Amino acid sequence: MTIDIGNMSRRDLLKSASVAALVAGAGSLAVPRRGAAQDANTVRVLSVEDPFFFSMKALVPEYEKETGIKVELESLSYDALQSRLVSAFVAKTSDADVIVVDQMWLGQYLDNGWIISLNDFIAKDNEFDLSDFIPEVLYSSNMWRGQVGTLPVAAYAQGVMYRKDVFDELGIAAPPTETSEDWTWTKYVDTLKSMEGKSFGGKPLFPTVVCGSQPSPIVHMFTQVSASHGANWFKSFPAAPWDFAPQLTSPAWIKSVEVYRQLYKLSPPEAINYVWFDAGTRFAKGDIGMFYWWTPYFYLIKNSGYMTGKKSDIMDKYATAALPKAEGVPQTVSLGGWSLGIPSSSERQEAGYAFIKWATSKATQKKMALWPDLNYQFSDFARVSLYQDEEVKAIYPYLDVQYAMMKQGNGKVTRPPVPGYTAVESVLGLTLNQLLTGTEEPKTGLERANSLFESILKGNLMIPYQKDSYADTLDGAKALMVKK
Amino acid sequence: MHTTIVRSPRALGPARKSFIRRNLPYLLIAPSVVMLLALIAYPLLFALRSSFYFWNLQIGPEPLQFVGFENYVQAFNAFDFRAALTNTLILSILGTALEFIFGLAIALILLKALPGMNVVRALLILPTTIAPIVVGFLFRYLYDPGGGLLSWVLQSLWLPVPAEGILGSPSTALAAILFVDIWQWTPFFAIVLYASLLAVPDEILEAARLDRASAWTILMRIKLPLIKRTAIIIVMLRFMQIFNTFDTVLVLTRGGPGTSTRTLGYSLYEQGLVNFNIGLVSAMTWITVLIVNVIVALYVFFAFRNEEW
Amino acid sequence: MSRRHTSFNTALTYAAGLLFLAIFVGPILWFIALAIRPAETAFTMPPQLTFEPNLDAFRHILVDPGTNAPQLVNSLIVAIGAVLLNLPFSVPAAYALSRFKLRGKKNIMLWYLGLLMAPPVAFLIPYFILITRIGLQGSYFSMILVLQTLTIPFSVWLMKSFIDEVPVELEEAARVDGARWYTIMLRITLPIVRPGIIVTSMFAFVFAWNNAAFPLVLSSRSTATLPIGTLGYFATSGVTWNYIAAAAVLAMIPPMIIFLVFDRYVVRGLTFGSVKG
Repeated sequence: MTIDIGNMSRRDLLKSASVAALVAGAGSLAVPRRGAAQDANTVRVLSVEDPFFFSMKALVPEYEKETGIKVELESLSYDALQSRLVSAFVAKTSDADVIVVDQMWLGQYLDNGWIISLNDFIAKDNEFDLSDFIPEVLYSSNMWRGQVGTLPVAAYAQGVMYRKDVFDELGIAAPPTETSEDWTWTKYVDTLKSMEGKSFGGKPLFPTVVCGSQPSPIVHMFTQVSASHGANWFKSFPAAPWDFAPQLTSPAWIKSVEVYRQLYKLSPPEAINYVWFDAGTRFAKGDIGMFYWWTPYFYLIKNSGYMTGKKSDIMDKYATAALPKAEGVPQTVSLGGWSLGIPSSSERQEAGYAFIKWATSKATQKKMALWPDLNYQFSDFARVSLYQDEEVKAIYPYLDVQYAMMKQGNGKVTRPPVPGYTAVESVLGLTLNQLLTGTEEPKTGLERANSLFESILKGNLMIPYQKDSYADTLDGAKALMVKK
Repeated sequence: MHTTIVRSPRALGPARKSFIRRNLPYLLIAPSVVMLLALIAYPLLFALRSSFYFWNLQIGPEPLQFVGFENYVQAFNAFDFRAALTNTLILSILGTALEFIFGLAIALILLKALPGMNVVRALLILPTTIAPIVVGFLFRYLYDPGGGLLSWVLQSLWLPVPAEGILGSPSTALAAILFVDIWQWTPFFAIVLYASLLAVPDEILEAARLDRASAWTILMRIKLPLIKRTAIIIVMLRFMQIFNTFDTVLVLTRGGPGTSTRTLGYSLYEQGLVNFNIGLVSAMTWITVLIVNVIVALYVFFAFRNEEW
Repeated sequence: MSRRHTSFNTALTYAAGLLFLAIFVGPILWFIALAIRPAETAFTMPPQLTFEPNLDAFRHILVDPGTNAPQLVNSLIVAIGAVLLNLPFSVPAAYALSRFKLRGKKNIMLWYLGLLMAPPVAFLIPYFILITRIGLQGSYFSMILVLQTLTIPFSVWLMKSFIDEVPVELEEAARVDGARWYTIMLRITLPIVRPGIIVTSMFAFVFAWNNAAFPLVLSSRSTATLPIGTLGYFATSGVTWNYIAAAAVLAMIPPMIIFLVFDRYVVRGLTFGSVKG
């Protein structure tokens, strides 16, 4: 009862190969092959269906009309996109001319030569101006080893959202819109505790909501707390020389787990299974007092359905605020989001670059923000000027808060985009998930995760690190922007 | 009861036979065998070779070095291996057994052939025809703590639903996944067993009834032995399918909470299509294939010991 | 057996039948309701039984922007293609295994089934590489081809049990009349086992239709199938349950129609070779 390859003779192999070739030949006659029907005037774009996608898609016909280039826009779920892209890279095929790149993937894509550096394109392009971009965003999401690998089409920071009406009724002071030494995680938890056991509008109120689902959602949310507390994943990264000895047993991590555990206790119990949007959806349903999350939720919670544009009950009842910080530690905000890059296998890199330039341009991003369908669903700007644009601000009144958060952002520290990140992320996510519900001491759980980190990183040849290190810095990003 | 007379090719024609005639049965089988070998051997050989290399797409695009059995060691020592193996065994053994028992019970009731029961039977197969990923979404909706029909039904029946929700509590999450599989595949067992029992010749049953055998005796001594081969085959089929489950887990729990619903199939998905550790996932593939192989081989050995073909 | 006892038994049987329907069909109806109900009534406690139905979700998935309409066509092409490619491989094999004495027949039969034990998800990357090498990436045919690993083993088994049921005497008679083996197979045996071909095709169709793993890496924008489309509504930033349900219902309809239409064949055939002489 075995699949016996041992008995497969060379003749069998030859036979099977010829059968495969035969059917393949027959197949290609009957079926249009991908790429066969393309001409030089087409640019293929592969994206995820995050909010920016919908307004970008709506503007594509305009781009096609202006340039005469046909855009083949394809969107996939996050899982499907990642599977498709990496398979395509391994098989070295040209699957697309522009792809969406998560901040986490940038390092590995560039190091493996799967996407090309945009430095040369930018250097050649006289009309292109990098200086409008927020340096913190470029540094966090688009720079790797001194190269600009991608350009941001949607940049996210994190921030606080709370219910004005609830705070008024319970007599709680509104949280500040700017980072302040008085607005700490301790204060945040205390504020939430003052809502514990209360009800609002006849319904029981939960002070807050967190994400508990492993691996990514809980890590995305938790790392904001740990970054605020100054926790580092590794001994030395992004500072060179890189040393990936894990640091999860430091007091900052233990303190952060304690805070996050308290937040979970103040959340609906089913939050243990919540993924990204579950937390936002729950807040939009109206029984949550205050929570913090990625800035797209500043506008997503206006709606009750993701792609429907139906208004939620809390549409006019919430406000945004600055993230709390930890006592005596300079604030660090988590940055993330989506950027566009060009696969090295693409045969139309110029056309790809032209599309990226268009999609990330000030004019296009502004039009995306002003696109009224879906109840205005885009304010994830990476450009400084759009945060000052009155027309945009009239629709998205919270942009000052969002910009203040962006300016304190450092995505290289909160979720280090190092090669092999997902493997350690899944261990961290699992450990945090276990620590939320269990009774285990945070220290014990983190020690276990630390030793798992170490064995995974050793197995992945990351400890000791054998390749060249490169210290990407914010100043380096700024210098690069000025040069242009 | 008719008898199929199996003839050897010799009986088919005149004594002088061409090559084609002599090897006719093998030639008829060959296309499918070659096709399947070509399709299955490539990935298996690919995995076998890769399993001895350090090849992690996040670290480098090509295999970096030969590492012997290091990937196998890592797979066994992975933080989730023991949990995944245990959960997978629980799911596949309990799932197959319960689906068989429920399916048989339903089949016996359907056999009563009351008017109108045909409609029930026809509609019953529907869950089996739905894509597992769609079933995943369906049950994510049904299990939702804030509006899921199933959560509500359980609450209305005064059954304790965990505060974290059915999928959120380590004590119920695996059972919830198991229930989804049972929901989808019990009808398949029911229909196959029904069809087989229907084919049991009436004369035999009549004779047994005349001997005043009880319904239970007839079932255990006559009906089940007659449909034994069907039962063995579908149990084996389902066992292998559940063993590789990953899509329902992906949609419903992503292996959580903790490691309580992690399965080997999901771990394979995570190492392969999330972490892109080709070397490690190849070693895990072979470990999985070998484990199923041993189980199925033992099963086949004992189940088919006395079967003639 | 008293009459009262019998009617009690009858009532019990009908009650069981209703219970089965509630358990196995009820959830499906509830999901269909999700596709046509106003979004705000989807998650309420207790669940809301009455609502004003609308077809907005279906309009979205089929017409404007109608992302899933071409995917429906793609799914049909892939599933029908898989059935058509499956038959010429599995029917002759099943015929041979049923009609001839073969050395190691038992092992061959088990070998087919054993192929189903390989974890498909682990094979996605090697399959992608293989498909790329033969220049078929993104085509319908790549999916149709790889799906044969699931359909052929199952079909051989199912088909064999159908051919087993055909009395060999019929073929004998034709042979006496001087007919060749292929004439006998094509003209006599196959027409009789037409129900078997139908049932085998039904299952091959459903296996191909419902497979989500292979299209995950093998399909492209223009060839993506419905399960992939359903996944798309489950994004990281949000989920739109009405659209998921509508796309899911769309994906449920063809297999269901097929099974309901060909119901009578299903019952006769699904025996996997038991109860024969």
